[in-house]
Amino acid sequence: MPRRAKDAPAQPSRLKPWQYATLNIFILFHIFAITAWAIPFRSPFVLDCRELVRPYMLWSGLFQAWNMFSPVPKGTNTYLQAVIIYKNGETQMWDFPRMELLSLTQKYSQERHRKFVEILLDEDNAALRPDVARYVARMPGIREKDPQQILLMVKWSNIIPNGDGTFTRTPLDQDVFFRYDVQPEDLR
Amino acid sequence: MKILKSARAAWNRFFFEPQSPLNISAFRIIYGVLVCATLLLLHGDWLAWYGPHSWISAATMHVVEPGTRINLFSLLPATDSAIVAFFWIFLAAALCLTAGFCTRVSSIVVYLCLTSIDQRNLFILHGGDTFLRVAGFFLIFAPAGAALSVDRLIRIRRGKENPGELRPRLPWAQRMIQLELAFLYFASFWWKMKGGAWTQGSALYFIFHLDEFQRFPVPQILLHPAALRVGSWLALVVEFSLGTLIWITKFRYPLLVIGVFFHLSLEYALNVPLFQWDVLSAYILFVEPEDLQRFLKRVA
Repeated sequence: MPRRAKDAPAQPSRLKPWQYATLNIFILFHIFAITAWAIPFRSPFVLDCRELVRPYMLWSGLFQAWNMFSPVPKGTNTYLQAVIIYKNGETQMWDFPRMELLSLTQKYSQERHRKFVEILLDEDNAALRPDVARYVARMPGIREKDPQQILLMVKWSNIIPNGDGTFTRTPLDQDVFFRYDVQPEDLR
Repeated sequence: MKILKSARAAWNRFFFEPQSPLNISAFRIIYGVLVCATLLLLHGDWLAWYGPHSWISAATMHVVEPGTRINLFSLLPATDSAIVAFFWIFLAAALCLTAGFCTRVSSIVVYLCLTSIDQRNLFILHGGDTFLRVAGFFLIFAPAGAALSVDRLIRIRRGKENPGELRPRLPWAQRMIQLELAFLYFASFWWKMKGGAWTQGSALYFIFHLDEFQRFPVPQILLHPAALRVGSWLALVVEFSLGTLIWITKFRYPLLVIGVFFHLSLEYALNVPLFQWDVLSAYILFVEPEDLQRFLKRVA
């Protein structure tokens, strides 16, 4: 960072005028685009700016959101399971990796599953669920046994604040939130 | 008029006053290591997340997240071997970037590959991935191979550079990465201020009681609601300060120390792999080049 308060030249001597102009446009555009995209402000003007830069931000990979644990952190422990129903009537449970049951090294390599489960439980991402059910049906040890239906089941326990500053956990509840009939082509 | 003139002078000083390339070169090394670490941690799941029979197919991805995007996977044959080859090439480029070999080309390859894996599966990303991707974009334009690199050794051997001299370079790309880091903190602060849990002080209690995030045991006294309330407020103060006051010279080093402590505490307590290290990597860009040079000399 420049510490001195001396005046810098109007235009850096190393740059030709067109280079200086191009760089300034590039810098200003990216400061504008990133700010418009990621600032958590929902005025009509900001939303218009966001729409304006959307194609570029998505194309370039500069899209970003910094809302981890915010505005309100999750208040529920959730666990995802797949129930596999085979043609012969047998059923099997398959647990998505649960971070709290993994070793330290596994936590590092499997953390993506935590995020994936979080996304999957969001109703906005319901379109992903058939793919997930198909993936489970194709897993080694499951595919060979001719799965007929895959159910995705969530178990959850809420973290409830008490009046005195402490919190309690509710008993585990569960819900089947997606059913998928396996097609023969899914197993190929 | 005078204000405009001094604003322009400040802008030029900030973005265009030549600076030692030592910081951006050191950042390149840490960045390269983190990209390699990201790939190696993913290694067991390369095909599960990105293969032709992955959790989310490319076709579904295209439907739920439409739009034209940089995504090299759309050019690859949909076979396991092509996907695995892609990752090995990506890893080789990241190693070249770390070593500073063919730095410009390797930084472009790393950025294209990193963006592609993020675009191919947007549903498994954390903030660290986003920061690496955005920083990687600006790293392409930075003189990242000007120091601490194989490229520089080659230039010295060919007589194109003096071993005792490091030519100052334009720092604008480095500044963009610094601005991105400051923006990350400020936007995080802003998001937190939008929800009552952080201002009321209950946010950390929820976070520390989410089983999936727990890593190492936290001393019981720090899990007391009063301590967690203070912790929630401190997080707001730290994020606001790192997003704004970091630009004021006299606050910078104390804030960097606080930031390191903040992220290492989170690294200890919370299971969000690599995020803390991804963010901490850019702290080196805020160190004065002379101080960094002194430190490197001492280490050497």
